[in-house]
Amino acid sequence: MPSTIWTGTISFGLVAVPVRMVSATRDLDIHFHQVDGRTGDRVSNRRISELDSKEVSWDEIGRGYELDGQAVVLTDDELSAAVPERTHMIEIEEFVDSSEIDPAQFDHPYLLLPGSDTEGVTRAYRLLRDAMAKTGRTAIGRVVLRSNEYLAAVHERDDVLALSTMLYADEIRDTAEIDAVPSGDAWASKRGEVTAAIELIEAMSVDFDPSGYEDRDRQRLLELIQSKRGRKGKDAAVSEPEPQSSEPPPDLMAALRESLARARNG
Amino acid sequence: MAPRSIWNGTLAVGEVIVPVKLFSVVQQHRVQFREVRLSDGAKIKHQRVNSESGEEVPSAEIRKGYEREDGRQIVLTDEEIAAAYGPRNKVIEIEHFTPAAQIDPIFYEKPYILGAQAGGERAYSVLRDALERSGKVGIGRFVLRTREQLVAVGPHGDALRVYTMRFADELVRSSDLDVPSMTREPAAKELEMAERLIDTLAAEWDPQRYEDRHRDAVMAVIESKAAGRKVEVAAPKEPEPVPDLLAALTQSVDQRKARGGKTTSAAKARRKPAAKPAAAAKTKSKTS
Repeated sequence: MPSTIWTGTISFGLVAVPVRMVSATRDLDIHFHQVDGRTGDRVSNRRISELDSKEVSWDEIGRGYELDGQAVVLTDDELSAAVPERTHMIEIEEFVDSSEIDPAQFDHPYLLLPGSDTEGVTRAYRLLRDAMAKTGRTAIGRVVLRSNEYLAAVHERDDVLALSTMLYADEIRDTAEIDAVPSGDAWASKRGEVTAAIELIEAMSVDFDPSGYEDRDRQRLLELIQSKRGRKGKDAAVSEPEPQSSEPPPDLMAALRESLARARNG
Repeated sequence: MAPRSIWNGTLAVGEVIVPVKLFSVVQQHRVQFREVRLSDGAKIKHQRVNSESGEEVPSAEIRKGYEREDGRQIVLTDEEIAAAYGPRNKVIEIEHFTPAAQIDPIFYEKPYILGAQAGGERAYSVLRDALERSGKVGIGRFVLRTREQLVAVGPHGDALRVYTMRFADELVRSSDLDVPSMTREPAAKELEMAERLIDTLAAEWDPQRYEDRHRDAVMAVIESKAAGRKVEVAAPKEPEPVPDLLAALTQSVDQRKARGGKTTSAAKARRKPAAKPAAAAKTKSKTS
């Protein structure tokens, strides 16, 4: 069961709904620890001062920032002074149409669950959830997590409220900054080619089935880890990747037609 | 400053090969601190030491360890891991296409912008326009740094965007959650009032309207400290729960109406960050 990482209230108007927040994701990555290859001992990380090479314990660590050449040192408490007073409140500022939001702005997904099982709490939660489900709108507010304030989007998903932290608009790079993105009349596509490409896309189309994809690298690593039982390990034969042609197709139309024929036969 | 690509390779759709470059989309602007010693501000560096002897371990001797469920520790070299992964191509291989509308954005992990390498511009434009017109995105895989990623490739304005994707089993399932039962339906009157409140708070999405107030506030704290002033640490205020839902809803709707029905102007004024000395220093905040 995912652990609660935040408790507080989500409020709209004068209605405050006590909630707790859990991550919507599970970390299934295989995490390694560092080992000294010569002895097999674990490696630990030590913080030392660059000035005198002395070890510095965790409670002696502060946050340093260089302001116009002046070194400024803040404690965590001082930094939290920058956090708005209401650190346990998500105040809904407005409701928007989520299809208007650039998905690149969504950062990390969380779930908001009722803060307790008392009737008052579950009633208020269900009312907000049902009203949001009915209108299909996404609520925009802000949430403070780990002494950082984030913009947040909340919507109904699978009978609970899902919250996504968001990046600010100025944290999303504008496509126009990238010269390598072909634009303008010089690269205008030809209608016949686009039609052929659409035919190819349709021929290669399926319904989205997220459970149809597995993390193959995770699987490969797990197999490697299991295969080392009682053995010193497989021979580490690294095969060279096949060189891939990065030549642009000489005849785009021919390549589209050929692909379409294969997609239809395969 | 033109951004640099982080990956070069090809995008392959059937027999159509497009030479491409990948650029990051996210440029986080959070204020970056570094670790220092509180007593004198001395910079901290990290040293990797053998936990038994306390001696520093050279990077060349560092291996990956994994503790298996049977308690045995396994040590892997990078070569063994590379062998397990198998051959790697610098290709985003599109396996199939899927309607963009079918993908819940919760599956999107990190966005990238695709550019064309010289010679790939035409095929790039054709693919982008065809995806735009069909409302589809391509689903494929490619290796970024060392890990193979599931990706969705779709149009965004003039560009093709690539999103790395979460795998279905990486999302928390409803059955994993301990949600109290909420069998009692809200009263029709409450629901109606809640919907009215949502309507009064409805607005067009305008991402530019939201500024990172926190970035400014952090810079203000830094400047205040630099000027030798004491930083006040305030205790958080907590809201009170509401006993009467319907009364609170009705009052909220009335308040909104009193403010002139639609929120936009009032909300805008509220959201405007107070004039802060930090505003000028904003550009100095370090970005990663």
